[in-house]
Amino acid sequence: MNNQKDLNRRDFFRKTAAMSVTAIAGTSLVSSNAKADDPAIMHHPAWGQKWGDPVTKNRYGVPSKYEHNVLRRNTKLLASGNFRASIAVAPIQESMGIITPNGLFFSRSHGGVAHVDPKEYRLMIHGLVEKPIVLTLEQLKRYPSVTRTHFIECPANGGQEWRGPQFNSIQFAKGFMSCAEWTGVYLKTILEDLGLKPEAQWMLAEGSDNSEMGRSIPVEKVLDDAMIVWGQNGEALRPEQGYPVRILLPGWEGNLCVKWLKRLEFSAEPWYAKEETSKYTALKPSGKAVQHFYANEVNSTVTSPSPEIDWKDLKDGDIVEIEGLAWSGMGTITAVDFSLDGGKNYVEAKLKGLVLPKSWTRWSYLHTYKKGDTLLLTSRAIDDAGYIQPTIDQETTIMGVESVYHRNAVETWEVTATGEVNHVQMRTPGGIKNA
Amino acid sequence: MLKLNRKLLATASVAAAIALLAVGCGGETGTAGSTQINGKATIDGGTTYPVVNDKTGPYYVNPQVAADASKINNGRVPTANELAAWDKDIMPDGTGLPEGSGSVEEGEEIYDAKCVMCHGDFGSGGGGYPALSKGNAYDLQKTLTNNRVNDPDADGPTRVFGSYWPQVSTLYWYIKDGMPHPFSKSLSADEVYALTAYVLNINEFEIDGVEVDDEYVLDREKLLKVKMPNVDGFEPNIDGPNALDRVRAYYANATNFGAQNLKQGAERCMSNCQEASVKVIHINGGIRGFLPPMSDVRDLPATQEVKIDVKEAYKNTCAMCHDSYLAPGSAEWKPFLAEGMDVVYKKAIHGTEGGMPAKGGTDLSDSNFKTVVDYITSGKVK
Repeated sequence: MNNQKDLNRRDFFRKTAAMSVTAIAGTSLVSSNAKADDPAIMHHPAWGQKWGDPVTKNRYGVPSKYEHNVLRRNTKLLASGNFRASIAVAPIQESMGIITPNGLFFSRSHGGVAHVDPKEYRLMIHGLVEKPIVLTLEQLKRYPSVTRTHFIECPANGGQEWRGPQFNSIQFAKGFMSCAEWTGVYLKTILEDLGLKPEAQWMLAEGSDNSEMGRSIPVEKVLDDAMIVWGQNGEALRPEQGYPVRILLPGWEGNLCVKWLKRLEFSAEPWYAKEETSKYTALKPSGKAVQHFYANEVNSTVTSPSPEIDWKDLKDGDIVEIEGLAWSGMGTITAVDFSLDGGKNYVEAKLKGLVLPKSWTRWSYLHTYKKGDTLLLTSRAIDDAGYIQPTIDQETTIMGVESVYHRNAVETWEVTATGEVNHVQMRTPGGIKNA
Repeated sequence: MLKLNRKLLATASVAAAIALLAVGCGGETGTAGSTQINGKATIDGGTTYPVVNDKTGPYYVNPQVAADASKINNGRVPTANELAAWDKDIMPDGTGLPEGSGSVEEGEEIYDAKCVMCHGDFGSGGGGYPALSKGNAYDLQKTLTNNRVNDPDADGPTRVFGSYWPQVSTLYWYIKDGMPHPFSKSLSADEVYALTAYVLNINEFEIDGVEVDDEYVLDREKLLKVKMPNVDGFEPNIDGPNALDRVRAYYANATNFGAQNLKQGAERCMSNCQEASVKVIHINGGIRGFLPPMSDVRDLPATQEVKIDVKEAYKNTCAMCHDSYLAPGSAEWKPFLAEGMDVVYKKAIHGTEGGMPAKGGTDLSDSNFKTVVDYITSGKVK
């Protein structure tokens, strides 16, 4: 241990000496040693010379006022009903680690955000069970709880770009998702008491909001890892996430994770709810559409740089971290491959931090920037079920370009010679003709 | 190893199966597999993480929960009236579909009064709201193969209620529960029949060989006879007793849903991976109009002056010192006021060596704080 410390110290002194030499030799280090003093250092800042806020201010804390541009955003093209049947997307270009702050978690509703009175909250579970029940919020929260970190992704994430890139923005191209630590109860724990009848194949989850959003869920998922959740990152769910209670189906379409949850009914047959027929179905070239398209497949993106946060300020020779997210609704990320030439050649990037099932996973690659280089940054994730992200041509050959949902082909950012970052796609123009 | 497990699981008990998974895979990811607790492959083609040695994947679980969950007895059994009040969903076989009737004519009246402002004339859509019809449903169903992957310049498929939806029960159910959008659950059963009849009419439907014309009167019996043109347009088949096994089989094959799986022959290519036909495609026009506009600038937000309650501000911040010295309107202010209000304001805003903190320690704007100073020096709120 001591030896290691000594080695590190020696290493440090050696590097410092080397740096001093370089400095004297008059390379770029000298220019950063410029004579002009930085006023930010030379003057006492105003905040250091007067009282700060009393602890009595902001009983519920808010971000620094300087962070006011870190926001969920909308576009009218993804909205109907005066933003009541609409989506607000998360600023994932600003995301750190694998947790999305509750106030920035993407928000999608089909009839506006409902404000449910917790005193009047009831959850009814009935249908093909031995004993139907109704629970108050207090009774629900009395079940032994579990806490899990999972992303929720709208399956239309990237769905506007089947026929070509549309958004010069990672927030809009990939921000139909967020990741949080959820607290609730496994549905299978509640069903131990209720007793599921053997002919039960499906469960309807229904919300109490204006649109009474409902979806059919196979009991296989219910008995595996489906949760009824009331906690999000250590506090009550936000109204936008279904306060006080939503269902969470780890890894599956966000639309299936019904918010403002009011009723669960078990049945032998599925329901054909509006959001599992008219929408959330993926039309293939055969004319048939995939219905009950549950899991969000393995996916990844480069978050830094991004079209929003570019490399214009980088200097020649800067060592810069290229960072990204990888996620799979079908398992755990096992590897992320990274390409500087749009997917012609890949190297394996490094995973970092916690690698959890059906969760955002961080990956990293250190790059030495050469001023004037044009790069095509592409990432490709692999999960423990064996799935690997397809190329755009591979995916459109099977799925066509009309499916809207579940687009998980690799994504590319072009870094121009000046360090601008643009969203592009690597594909065969006109598409691969379908057999 | 996983394939072997699946074979073994077919005959093994659940307990033995879990033990096998634990022994078979071992290590850090010992609980990951593609086989569920019932011995079958996962329904979504993904990985499952059964509890082994009190852990599921990386998470510890309390084993007492599984052992005792059946004895937890929370909540109560709902009454028959409560069940009836909430169990209002409508299924394709007519479960939940109420008796009643309504005509196309009545439907058009309701539509023009409550629906047209969003869904447009004759359901043509607009303003971000979906179209309810684009013409004859039977003809438009044939457009579903117009996939622009084959011809980028072709007209794409038309997906509206008539051409795309597999079940008519969905329409009645959604109108009843979700419409009109700003006043949902306000329509009677008869009104919903009338609107459903109108939507069938503008999609040029036939029921049992009879055209749904302007005089048509729809009721429960007739609605259940509607055959949707695209009823067979979806996969996998989710109806009947073996539905889950069919879904399982569908997702076991990655090519069914556009995925690539290394265990099913996909390749993890690391070099020379691209066909020569692949080009860099830039955004052509694209979608803009982000609200609020995109920005990563860290500056102070534009502020709007908010009027404050001066006496309340005094009470919360100033009173503890100023009640006993230089109280509001006190004669002690005389020598200070003689220096002029500008000097008083300056001292108040920037603080004094005599102990007055800048703005009394508040973060009020200068102009707001001056109104507090005015109150303290005069005893009056202006």
